[in-house]
Amino acid sequence: MTPEQKKQNLRTALILASIAAMFFVGIFVKIVLLGH
Amino acid sequence: MSAVLDPHGHASHDEHGDHHDHAPTGWRRWVYATNHKDIGTLYLLFSFSMLMIGGLLAMLIRAELFEPGLQLVNPELFNQLTTMHGLIMVFGAIMPGFVGFANWMVPLQIGAADMAFARMNNFSFWLLIPAALMLVLSFFMPGGAPAAGWTIYAPLTLQMGPSMDMAIFALHIMGASSIMGSINIIVTILNMRAPGMTLMKMPMFSWTWLITAYLLIAVMPVLAGAITMTLTDRHFGTTFFNPAGGGDPVMFQHIFWFFGHPEVYIMILPAFGIISQVVPAFSRKRLFGYASMVYATSSIAILSFIVWAHHMFTTGMPVTGQLFFMYATMLIAVPTAVKIFNWIATMWQGSMTFETPMLFAVGFIFVFTMGGFTGLILAMAPIDLLLQDTYYVVAHFHYVLVAGSLYAMFAGFYYWSPKWTGVMYNETRGKIHFWSSLISFNLTFFPMHFLGLAGMPRRYADYPMQFADFNMVASIGAFWFGLSQVYFFFWVVLPVLRGQGAKAPQRPWNDPDGKGAEGLEWEVPSPAPFHTFEVPPRLNATATKILDTQVSPQHH
Repeated sequence: MTPEQKKQNLRTALILASIAAMFFVGIFVKIVLLGH
Repeated sequence: MSAVLDPHGHASHDEHGDHHDHAPTGWRRWVYATNHKDIGTLYLLFSFSMLMIGGLLAMLIRAELFEPGLQLVNPELFNQLTTMHGLIMVFGAIMPGFVGFANWMVPLQIGAADMAFARMNNFSFWLLIPAALMLVLSFFMPGGAPAAGWTIYAPLTLQMGPSMDMAIFALHIMGASSIMGSINIIVTILNMRAPGMTLMKMPMFSWTWLITAYLLIAVMPVLAGAITMTLTDRHFGTTFFNPAGGGDPVMFQHIFWFFGHPEVYIMILPAFGIISQVVPAFSRKRLFGYASMVYATSSIAILSFIVWAHHMFTTGMPVTGQLFFMYATMLIAVPTAVKIFNWIATMWQGSMTFETPMLFAVGFIFVFTMGGFTGLILAMAPIDLLLQDTYYVVAHFHYVLVAGSLYAMFAGFYYWSPKWTGVMYNETRGKIHFWSSLISFNLTFFPMHFLGLAGMPRRYADYPMQFADFNMVASIGAFWFGLSQVYFFFWVVLPVLRGQGAKAPQRPWNDPDGKGAEGLEWEVPSPAPFHTFEVPPRLNATATKILDTQVSPQHH
């Protein structure tokens, strides 16, 4: 695997992880701010 | 010693010495693990920990049900206990347990050096830890743990507190872990078999896992879809399962059981694989009807997709639908019976011995078959209308999941642990564990058939006086069964993990004349070295023995 491919893989992983984290954190922020 | 373990061509690279047999040490060995044996061990330890946590919840359930009335827990907590017991046992104990066996044994059985995607393998395992933590710690969230049953039916899930979100995330993560594990197993089996290990010569355990992995890839996304719809119903204003917005809670059941029924086979097919390894070894015969075993396993897998609505007869369904799902379900008895027949035919006139693995295998066949028969009874729509959600169902699925999946894992542990650890477990203790488990298991779950037939519903914290006696018997059996597993851990597992016991020979289950366990895992010494089959071995005609390794030229 070339360093460029490795970088692209890392970028994809971070994008996917941030989407999952957004849902996870978002829902709990919503529960705290809006009640449920 | 097999030449496989020779450092091969690397012997010529003196500057490297024997670095290939050197395992990483300390915490890095486990956190950064890419070795299939280490990851297998991690999976098995994780699975056993979850078995203990799920078992503890079961003990609380049985303590509450020891006598009528509410003594220990309130009904809300009771519902949380049953829900979490189911989720933890299914997703934390049984599934990862079999993945642990697959990690350890599939590469060894097919002559591969490791799993195809070693780092993804590591990721699959370590995803389970946060998922399990989220699931278990949800007990401490406002409103307590999820309490909608392990089937997480709408509309209950739409009304639960924030712990339901934790459960949904945990299931998503566990699903991702399972899918990655399955991809790994499929690619390993299809691409990394040693030359000569054709598919129809492959050991049954690897075969059953190949089929199971396809099932997992097919249905885990369906579960992910169902719980994502639940999540969006809960938080983003959709109404997939809410009639007020045009949705339908019954649709959740259809989607869930389209996952859920194949899931049942995901939990039993690898068990069939283990039993198909153990029975021939202790009968000193080859497996009877190998090809029919492969086809029966595949048939069960295919049929598992067209029977889901037998879990839903009471939701209201056209008679045509009931008939279809009833007959399709009964059809599964045919390939299952083929398997039972083949195991018995393998034993027929064999030179049998009854060490602990064989005891658990025979126990499996005996008790699992009883669970299979009650399954047939429940498959009949008119009877199911009466028995739906009673203790008869609880008895049925514990007969197939405990005496089925769990017993098979015990059989597998006793059978392969000499290869894993290099020491023999204590045979007397193994036998105590078997008989204690067998008697207490039946003491726990057999009376539940009578309770169900008498109409006692499941998932209730209290019951009328008429059910008192059988419940007390079941609770006593359950505590005994739980203690048997504690005995297993402290008196059987821990000693072998610490290396206490007689040194295991390379082929511990063979007669002096060489008959017994067959397969490539017995061609490597005990304990199996850190690296095996780094160079593909040359196999005999039946792909059960190594003739020679294809060593590099400079080695000669």
